[in-house]
Order: sequence, then C-alpha cells, then structure tokens
Amino acid sequence: MAGIEYGEVEETLKRIEAHKGVIGTIVVNAEGIPIRTTLDNSTTIQYAGLFRQLTMMARSTVREIDPQNDLIFLRLRSKKHEILVAPDNDFLLIVIQNPCE
Amino acid sequence: MSEVAKEERKKRRTLVLRPSSRTINISVSGIHGVHQSTRDTNGFICPSRKSFSLGGGSKVLEKSALQTPRQVVRVIDEEDNDVTPQPLYQADPAAAQAKASRFFLDEISAGSASDQTTATGSFSRPFSRSIFGSSRISSQSTIESLNEEIEDTFSKRDLPINFPDVPGKRDTVKEHVTEDMLREVTDVYISETDSMSLLDIPSTFVSVDADDAEAIMERNHQYAELCRNRMADDKYVDRSVQTLNGAAKNKHVQSDSILMVDSATTVTTWDMYDTLTCPEQWEEPGSQVPGRSEGPEAGLDPSRGAERSVSVGSTASSASAASSLKEVEAFGSALTAESDQQRIMQSDRFHHCLLVMERSLLGNTFQPKLAAYRQLPVTQDPDCVMKPGMVEQREQEAQSPPSPAVECLWAFSCELSRGRSVSSMAWNKKNPDLLAVGYGEFGSSNQKPGLVCCWSLKNPTWPERAIQCGSAVTSLDFSSNNPSQLAVGMQDGCIDIYNVKSPESKACVLSSSDCPNRHLDPVWQLRWTQQELSLTGEEEVESLFSVAADGRISEWFICGSGLDCIDLMELKKTQPAKKKAGGTKTESVLSALTPGLCFDFHPTDSSVYLVGTWEGLIHKCCCSNNQQFVDTYRKHFCPVNCIIWSPLSPDVFLSCSSDWTIQLWKQDLHRPVLTFSSAQAAVCDIKWSPKWATVFGAVNEGQLEIWDLNFSLLEPVIVQPAAGTVKMTTLLFALQADCVLVGDSDGHVAVYQLQNPQVGEGSQVDLLEAIIRSAAPRQL
Repeated sequence: MAGIEYGEVEETLKRIEAHKGVIGTIVVNAEGIPIRTTLDNSTTIQYAGLFRQLTMMARSTVREIDPQNDLIFLRLRSKKHEILVAPDNDFLLIVIQNPCE
Repeated sequence: MSEVAKEERKKRRTLVLRPSSRTINISVSGIHGVHQSTRDTNGFICPSRKSFSLGGGSKVLEKSALQTPRQVVRVIDEEDNDVTPQPLYQADPAAAQAKASRFFLDEISAGSASDQTTATGSFSRPFSRSIFGSSRISSQSTIESLNEEIEDTFSKRDLPINFPDVPGKRDTVKEHVTEDMLREVTDVYISETDSMSLLDIPSTFVSVDADDAEAIMERNHQYAELCRNRMADDKYVDRSVQTLNGAAKNKHVQSDSILMVDSATTVTTWDMYDTLTCPEQWEEPGSQVPGRSEGPEAGLDPSRGAERSVSVGSTASSASAASSLKEVEAFGSALTAESDQQRIMQSDRFHHCLLVMERSLLGNTFQPKLAAYRQLPVTQDPDCVMKPGMVEQREQEAQSPPSPAVECLWAFSCELSRGRSVSSMAWNKKNPDLLAVGYGEFGSSNQKPGLVCCWSLKNPTWPERAIQCGSAVTSLDFSSNNPSQLAVGMQDGCIDIYNVKSPESKACVLSSSDCPNRHLDPVWQLRWTQQELSLTGEEEVESLFSVAADGRISEWFICGSGLDCIDLMELKKTQPAKKKAGGTKTESVLSALTPGLCFDFHPTDSSVYLVGTWEGLIHKCCCSNNQQFVDTYRKHFCPVNCIIWSPLSPDVFLSCSSDWTIQLWKQDLHRPVLTFSSAQAAVCDIKWSPKWATVFGAVNEGQLEIWDLNFSLLEPVIVQPAAGTVKMTTLLFALQADCVLVGDSDGHVAVYQLQNPQVGEGSQVDLLEAIIRSAAPRQL
C-alpha cells in the first residue's frame, strides 16, 4: 500500500529497538540475509540462520496439521530472555527481549 | 550404371592430376579390377558417402576430389535391381569433408607406407565399420585377407580417426515449450493398438484330417524312403560346409558422461494442498540457488555442507542445520540487500508484523498491569529477579488490612502529548480498548494547535493515531452508529469529524468550518445521541449535538460536504436583574446569551437534556421545545463545569462547579438533595461509576476523589493527590474494569485501579434511593 510511509515504518522499528528490555532486533530477507540489525555481525548471522530454520519447521508443523492454517507469530521463552519472531514469506522479524528488566 | 561409370571417370581424372607412382598405378588398376569384380559380385556395400566411395582408391584422392559434388553410389545386382543400401548415418557433409580430408591424408601416407595393393573395401571398411558398427562383409576371401592386413596396419598406426560428430543426439529443433503449453490440459487417450505379430512360425504339423493330408503323408513317405536309400545312392554325396565366422572386432565408444543431479523433496500435506489449490503460485523449485553464497566471508562459517538453498516450500533436514549458514552472505552484498530492504520495509505485511511485535513486546512488559486492568489474576514471572525493596513492600501489604485505595497502573503518554493539557477523553463505543484523548491549552497565550490521540490499551507508549487539529481541542466524542467516527470540537468553534479507522487519512472527513451557522466560540461539549425521531423522521438516527460558549446548543447534520446545524436552544440569560430582550443599549452590546459549558442527555429519554451554564444555572430542556426551558435548577453561583445523569438510577444527576461544590439533584426537586465539598478548589470534572450507583469520582485541580455515598456523605472514600505541580483536568471511568482514567495538564492520562472499594454486591441503586429519600425531606 502506498500509503504506508517509509518514515513511519522506520519510526516504529526504532521504537521497538528502543523499547525497554529489548536486547536486539533483526530483519532478515527471504534468502536469509539480515538486512537490518542492532546486534553484531556474527550473532546476527547466527540468529538469522537458526531462526529461519526453526520458523520453517514451525510453519511446516502448523500447516501439516491443517493446510489452511498458517503460522503468524512465534515466541520462544528461554531462561534468560524471550525471542519473538514474526515470520512471513518475504522476511523474518526477530526481536530478543529480556522481559524482567 | 552411369553412376559407376562416372565414378570411374573421376578416378581417371584424378589419376591425371596427380603424379602417380607405380604402386598407385597398380593399385588403381587393381582397384579397377577389383571394382569391376565387385560390381559383378555385388556382395559389397559401398558407403554412400561420396568421399568414401572414392576412397576405394583413396590413395589417389586429393582434396579436390573430395570437394566434388556428392555422388550417390548405387549398387546394382545381377538383375539390375537397385539394392543400394540406405545409409545408417547421414553426416553433415561440411564437417565430414573437413575431417575426412584429414583422415585421408593420413591414410594415404599409411597406405603408401604399407605399400600394398588395396581392395576397394579395405579403406572404407574401418570407416564403415566404425560408423555403422557392423557392415556386411563381402564373402570374397581375398578381400578378407587383404582387409586383415590393412587392419593391422591401421591398428598399429593408431590413427586418430576423427569422425565427424555422429549425431547420436540429433540436433532436432526443439520446439520451444512455453508456459502456456505446459499449462494446457492435454488429453491423452490410451487405446489398444492392433496386434502386432512379432514372430509367426507356422507350424509344420498338419492334422490328419486335413484335406491335403494324403499328399503330405505321401511326400513324407517318399522322403523317408529317400533317406533310407541315401547311403548307397550315388546321387547324394555328403559334403560339409563350414560357415566362416566373421572376424570380430572390438569397438569402443565413448560418450559424454551424463550429468546426474540428486534431487529430493519432502512431501508434506500442505505442499500438496498448496499445489492443488493455487497452481499459479508454485513455489520456486527447490533447486539450488547457484553460487550466491559461494564465497562468504572467510572464517565466518567453517561448516560447508552440500546443502542447497531450500525455499519455504520444502523443509531442510536437521542434519543440514549448520550448513544453511552457508547461504547467508555477509553484509557486503550491497545491491540486492538494499532493494530488498526497501521492498520489505514498505510492504504492508511488514507494517502489520511490526505492530504485532510491538504489542507483544509491550504485552510482556505491561503484562501485570494489563492483567490487573482486566481483572485477571496477576502471575508472578518466575524468573523475574525480585528486588529486595519489593519483597518488604509485599509483606507489608499482606499484613495490613486492605483499605480502599487507587493504584496507578500506567500512564498513557508520549512525546507528542507531553506538555499539553488533557482536555477531554472518550471511549470508543464499539471497542472498549480504544481511547480518544484531546489535548489543548486554553486560556494561555500560546495557542498550540490541538492534538487528538487515539490510544489503545495494548500500547501505552505510543498512540495508534495522532491527529493534528486546527486549534486546541475542547471536546470529543465517538459515534455509536459509525464507531470509527470521532467528532472533535475545538476552541475556535469548529467541529471536525475524523475517521480513525485508516491510519493514512489524517485529514478530517467533515468539518463545520464552512458552515455559516457555526459556533464562534469554544465548543465545550459534543455528544452523539440517538434520537427516536429525528428531524427527518427516520428512526434511530444519530445526531451530533454541541454546546458552545456562544450560548447555542446545536444539532448537526451532514449537508453536502460539510456540516450544518440547527439551533436547538439558545441559552438566554435569565438573571432577573437584567431586562429581557429589546432593551437598552447596554443590552444590545452584551450578548443576550450565556455560554453553555456542559450538557447531558437523559439516559433513557433522549429528548430531554440538561444544560449547565456560565451563570451557574442548570436548565432542563426538551428537544421539541427550543424556546423555553422546561425547568431550571439554581444552586451554583459559579460556572457549572459538568453535569451528568446517573446511568443506573433514573432521575438523579450530579453537577459540579467552580464554586468548589458538587450537587446531587433529583429531577423533580428544585433544590439539590445533597451537597458535597471537600477541597477548596474548583471541581473540574465529575463522573458516575458505571458499576455502582453510589460511587462517583471527581477531580479538582489538585486531587482525584472517589466518593462512595454509602460510606460517607461528607468525605470521599479515596483521595489521590496529583503528582507534583501537575493539575488534574479530566476524569473517565473505565467501562469494564474498576479503573479510573485521569488526564492532567502535562499530557499524561493515568490509569488508576480502584482497590478494595468495599462496595457491596449489586449496583446499589436501592441504596442510593434510600439515601436520597432520607436526605430529601431535609431539603424541601
């Protein structure tokens, strides 16, 4: 939609990145290449690769049970923090948050 | 015949051109002779390629001969039948010539070296054999022996026989298969073919009952006789015949190695479903993305598997977990990443994902608060590190008996709203999580343009919509018929209607700025109300009502592209000291209307409404009568700031005023039933609790007060002072929660939860009635 301005999207992303407890934000494109990140290079690539696979597996699982269903959000809660993944055909949005802060 | 003759003539020609050695001569004649003989015997195949046939006397051939036009060799047998064998191979003449010439030159040298008489067949035979695989060999033993010799020489020679490319793969013109052709539904009809008889050896048995059985039996007899007599008979001689075995030759053929590619896919239910339902959106095949990531940064990823990039369609096995990192290029891949980024960032879905993500993040952070708001049990985060201070506080709380209090859950505020004073708040009629807040400073010198923010409960840090308005916002209200329409009244008297549904449209849908009848003074209150019978006679039409400082109450409706209004009532000054209309000069200078500050429609009978004026009077009016007030309530002597009907108890309403008092009225009584005053400050806003009939909240500039009439008539139950120098300006009860929203002059809208309200069960309406009844006789 042409109405969504780039600036607005940029702003929202910045807000997310600056949110309390957020450790890092990664945006990955369809091929698995990170296009925007707030973490360092090696960590980003590691996250991007691993989560891409996990997302594909998760999506496959959901759709296997019911092909008309689809995965829209994935949340992984670990001891130290919570990783939120918003998957899509074209991209992957990964946010790592420490909710206890 | 003529062909052969021509050939011979050619040969003679070649002879002439070339200096011929004796051997050659002999050979040529030999060739001739042989040729003649072969012609007769005709067991021999001449390859139809002209060069080769000429190559029978190939020694003498030279390039010129090769370049002669192609002649077709025809083999004629004794009966002059054309038994020319068809070639198994039709080579490219141009290529053939080039290569053949080489061959022949070599051959010539070989032949001359070997110095042998040749037979026609010999030279061509290796050729023919190699090309045709096997050819019929003439039964002439002489030729055979010669052939063998020649063969040996050739094999010794190890000539690089460069045959022109045998078109094992014919270069057929490939029909260009287009997408459409692939998509076409082709019908394949399978039917039975005719029976093809591959082998039919009729039996030699004849039935005894057959017609010619007699004759056959007779013949059989005769034959048996013959066989028996054969031994002594001179007519029959035993003779043996040996079939000659053809000389076997090994042949190697080499072809290009066929490239094999392993391809695999995991068939999943959804894969099949996808292919079935949307065939035009086939995923890209799981074939490899060639070479994209052949060179990731050194040292970045040591483990390289043979994994190919898998599209979303097929799954990657867990074994290839590490190797998929291979796909990821370093940030150095500039162009594609850039364009991707642009595309992704601007896509709709990304925006939506960001929204969901933000809310999830905030949900994590605000989870306890939101749970408290929604009256869910608040769960302790098990991994959350408890600060030492908090532990003590909890212990204290557990020990002391609960007393009514308000706890601040969170505050809606952002940079946009900081510094602006909250002037009005309204819940969305359809979605109780949406809150519209109007900001505006009035009375101050700096006229900042007004702002309206639509907040969602799910995101207390950033408004969903932020609309800039022309001037300071003084009131707002959501429509119930069209839940996304928000009417905003402003300080300059303008009323704008915005549609908050879509995020892009920042401009107002309708405005009253062009209306000639518009208010010229601040619109203090707006209300959407459904009238049973509107002006046009339709039922349940919703109209917008406004009360403004110019003393008019108007009903607005959409006229063309703007709003137009009808005055419902004019608030005439009713102070007895002043003369009524048409009087002295002083009268005409001063406006005969008094500013109306607030109004409220009766909850059940929407044609009756109350208006509070600057003078301190409260008028009860009826929509049908726009000349006279039905009733007037006098008590306040300062501007009435807010009037509100009780939602639960009929005919009871509250009014608050700048004279520091709150009055409780009953509709029929001209004197207030109860008066409340606690602080020495003007009461700005007052609201009934939607849940309990005896509870209402009030804000004056310095504090928030929650009154419970059941508890005390003299004091508020809960008092929450304002923080710092901030002044509280507006109040709103949450509809489905025990919460109170308070707006203040710094742009914060704080959400307070009422804790331990100690109100009994039920809506307390009867209690309120009782209180009023007990209080009423006192007033009369």
